[in-house]
Amino acid sequence: MTSEPKKKILLIDDDIDFLKATKLILEKGGYQVVTAEDGKSGVDAVESENPDLAVVDMMMETWGEGFSVVSKIRKLSGGKTLPLIVLSSVDLQGPYQSFEPSEEFPKVNMVLQKPLKAEDLLRYVQELTN
Amino acid sequence: MDQAGRPEKILIIDDEQSILDGCRQALEKLGHEVLTAADGEEGLRLARTERPALAFVDLKMPRLSGMEVIDILAKDIPDLIIIVITGYASIMSAVESLKKGAYDYMPKPFAPDQLRAVARRALDHRNLLIEARRLKQERKEIERNFITFVTHEMRSPLAAIQQNFEALTMVLGDSLTDEASEIIERCRRRIQNLEDLIEHWLDIRRIENGTFVKEREELLLDEVIQRAVEEMSQLCHNRDLTLETNLAENLPAVMGDRESLVRVFINIIGNATKYTPAGGAITISTDYNDSYVKAMVSDTGKGIPRGKIPFLFVPFYRADGNDNQERTRGSGLGLTFCKRIMDAHDGKITVESKEGSGTTFTLHFPRSTPREGE
Repeated sequence: MTSEPKKKILLIDDDIDFLKATKLILEKGGYQVVTAEDGKSGVDAVESENPDLAVVDMMMETWGEGFSVVSKIRKLSGGKTLPLIVLSSVDLQGPYQSFEPSEEFPKVNMVLQKPLKAEDLLRYVQELTN
Repeated sequence: MDQAGRPEKILIIDDEQSILDGCRQALEKLGHEVLTAADGEEGLRLARTERPALAFVDLKMPRLSGMEVIDILAKDIPDLIIIVITGYASIMSAVESLKKGAYDYMPKPFAPDQLRAVARRALDHRNLLIEARRLKQERKEIERNFITFVTHEMRSPLAAIQQNFEALTMVLGDSLTDEASEIIERCRRRIQNLEDLIEHWLDIRRIENGTFVKEREELLLDEVIQRAVEEMSQLCHNRDLTLETNLAENLPAVMGDRESLVRVFINIIGNATKYTPAGGAITISTDYNDSYVKAMVSDTGKGIPRGKIPFLFVPFYRADGNDNQERTRGSGLGLTFCKRIMDAHDGKITVESKEGSGTTFTLHFPRSTPREGE
C-alpha cells in the first residue's frame, strides 16, 4: 500500500448520536476521525491531535458556546489557519438570528446546517483539506 | 406610594401660590414628596431633573401655557401621569389636554380630599402601567427563550436521526437492498415532514412576537418572484410541471420584507406543485392599479371544493382531509404562514378555485407611496 496518510478530522459536538453518525460518514470517506464531546476537550484536541480540519457544533450546551470554542481555537498557534466548519441546527442565513458575531469574530471557513448529506459533507471536507 | 411602599414625588405647576401651598399640604399628608413650580418653564425643569410620578398642571398660566407644558411632558417624561387643573370655563381645553396625554382633570376649586383621591387613583394607574409593561416584557422574554428551546431541543434529535440514516446508508453501501432503501427513504421523509412542521410553527411564532417581517424596505415583486421561481424550478421540472411568469411592466414597488415574501411565494408555488397533475402549468402574474399591487399564482390543478376554501388558512386544516397522499402531505401550516406574513404587510391573501380546472392565490399589497402629480 502506497496510499497517502489519512487526513485527520476533529469533530466537536455534544450530541453524541450526531457525532457518531458524522464520524462513520467521514471514516467511510477515508478520513481518520477524532471526536470531542465538549468545547474544552475540543480545544485541547486541536493542540494534542493536530487535525487537518475541525467541525464545530454551534449549539453546544448553551447558545454561543460554539462561538467561544472557535475563538479559542483561533487563538492557538496550531489553530490560526486550521480549516473550520461550523454546524448549526438553525438556518443562520434565515431571518432569525439570535446572535450576530461581532466584527472581530474569528473567521470560519464554512457554516453548514444540520443534518448534512453525506456526499455534501465529504465534498466540503475534501475541498477544505486539499 | 410606589409598589415598594416608598413615597412618590408629585409635581404641582400653577401660577397661583395658594394652590401650590394647598396641594403641598394635602399631598404631604399622604407621605409624598411635593415639588412646586410657579410657571411652565420651572415645571419642565423640575420634571426633567426630579422625574416625578405625577404632575398637576394648571392650564391657564402666563408665558408657556399649560397645554404646551402637557404636550412636552407627555412626550419627554416616561411614565409620568399628568393631571390637569382647570377653571370651570375651560372644560373644552381639559378635553383637549386629555387628548394630548393627560390622564385626568380637576376643576377648580377642589377640596383636599378630592385632590388626594385623584392622586391616589393616578398613582394606582401608574403602577398598573408599569406592572403591565413589565409583564409584557417578561412574557416576550419567555416566548423568546421558548423558541430557542424548541429550536434546539426539537431539532437536534431530528438532525441526529437524519445524520444516522446518512451514516447507515453509507455503511451498508452496495449491500443495501432496494427494499431497505425504500424503508430508509420513508423514515427520512417523515422526519423531514416533522422538521418542516417545526420550521413553519416557529415561523408563525416569530411573526406573532415580531421577530419576523422587521426589515421592511421598498422592493420590487419581480425580484421576489424571480428568486422564488429559481428556488422552485427544479421541483417543478421533476414533477413535469411548467413554471412560468407573466409580469406586468413597470410594476410599482411595495413595502415589504424580502426574505419572508420569497418564502410566501415558495410556499404557494410548493402547494400548487402538490395539487397539479404532471403536464400541468403554474403561472405567476402581477397587476396593479391606483390602490394596490397584486401577484397571482395560478395552477391547472384539481381545484379546491368551494366549501373548503374558508378553512384554507386555518392552522393544520387540510383540504384533502384524510386522503393523505405522500406527495400532498405538508405541515398544515404553510398557508397560515402566508396569511400571517401578508397581514404583517397590511396586505391580504385570497383564493379562487374551480374544481377540476385550477386554483389561483392572489397576494394583495397596498401601494407603498401615494400617487404623484394628480
